[in-house]
Amino acid sequence: MSSILTIVLLAFLVVTAVLTAAFSDALAATVVFGAYSLGMAIAYVLLRAPDVGLTEAAVGAGVTTALLLVTIARRNRPDRESPFRTGIGVRSVAVVLALVAVLLATVPALPTVGDPGAPGFQRVAPYYLTEAPQLGISNVVTAVLVAFRGFDTVGEVVVVVTAGIAVLAVLDREEDP
Amino acid sequence: MSGEGGTVESVVVTKTVRLLAPFVLTFGLFTTFHGTSSVGGGFQGGVVVASVVVTFAFAFGVGQTDAWLRSSRLRWLAVAGVYLVLLVAMGTLAVGGAVLEVTAVPLEKGAVYAVELVELGIATTVAATIVVLFFRLAAGSGAAADRQRRKP
Repeated sequence: MSSILTIVLLAFLVVTAVLTAAFSDALAATVVFGAYSLGMAIAYVLLRAPDVGLTEAAVGAGVTTALLLVTIARRNRPDRESPFRTGIGVRSVAVVLALVAVLLATVPALPTVGDPGAPGFQRVAPYYLTEAPQLGISNVVTAVLVAFRGFDTVGEVVVVVTAGIAVLAVLDREEDP
Repeated sequence: MSGEGGTVESVVVTKTVRLLAPFVLTFGLFTTFHGTSSVGGGFQGGVVVASVVVTFAFAFGVGQTDAWLRSSRLRWLAVAGVYLVLLVAMGTLAVGGAVLEVTAVPLEKGAVYAVELVELGIATTVAATIVVLFFRLAAGSGAAADRQRRKP
């Protein structure tokens, strides 16, 4: 994880993240946020989590951007002279920097990426890894999602439909008061 | 800005979308059904399928795409996906297992078929929900733009 490509990717992520916060124009912020999500998708692939990477690329960079764009098109865009925020609060920046410092302080305590001795690999992971191929499912992520923890997944599908119904209800009420 | 729903009608964009759409759609279905043996699953596949529809809307105009698809009919598909997942969850009771015990399916590779049915249900729900929400939000934006145009 220390090749030039990785460093460029991480720098790209930091720049797009800061720009997302710095743009005052919602359209510009949405586009930069889509670029950030695409960078995150590549980062997940580099971290050997292609399932998460595919989700981030499709949901984060694709569908969320599209939904935000049509939402922005619903309202009037104010004409501003500068696309950037004028006067970012010093206190806000201080809080963000303090949060970053606290999170970075926990990084040395994390196990190395892919370390087989990491606590996360000790308890149920060996069971999943031995049982999943016996079901004929070689993608362990899918086996965990549907076969071993299917109840969670049923709940997630219900959440997706419920969220959709809630948004439709709000939109209907907004347009016919 | 020209065209229906405020899209820019460009030959390059429409040709590219026409060319890519079958491949992206196939990839979405592949991701859904091949989730048991490679990267992906219902959530990812469903979003990829929905993204094809969203790309069509951006290229050919929201109004035209919605007129062709009639997205409000897709509401029942979102609910049908949940029922398919619940059917598999309860179906394992009928073959003598516990709720969602996919290994109880009395077929060779029964667990794989059960999991793939669940994935199909997830993909249906996710894709239908995104498409319905997208067109519902976009339809409102078209109306808002019309109101603005009429205002002065």
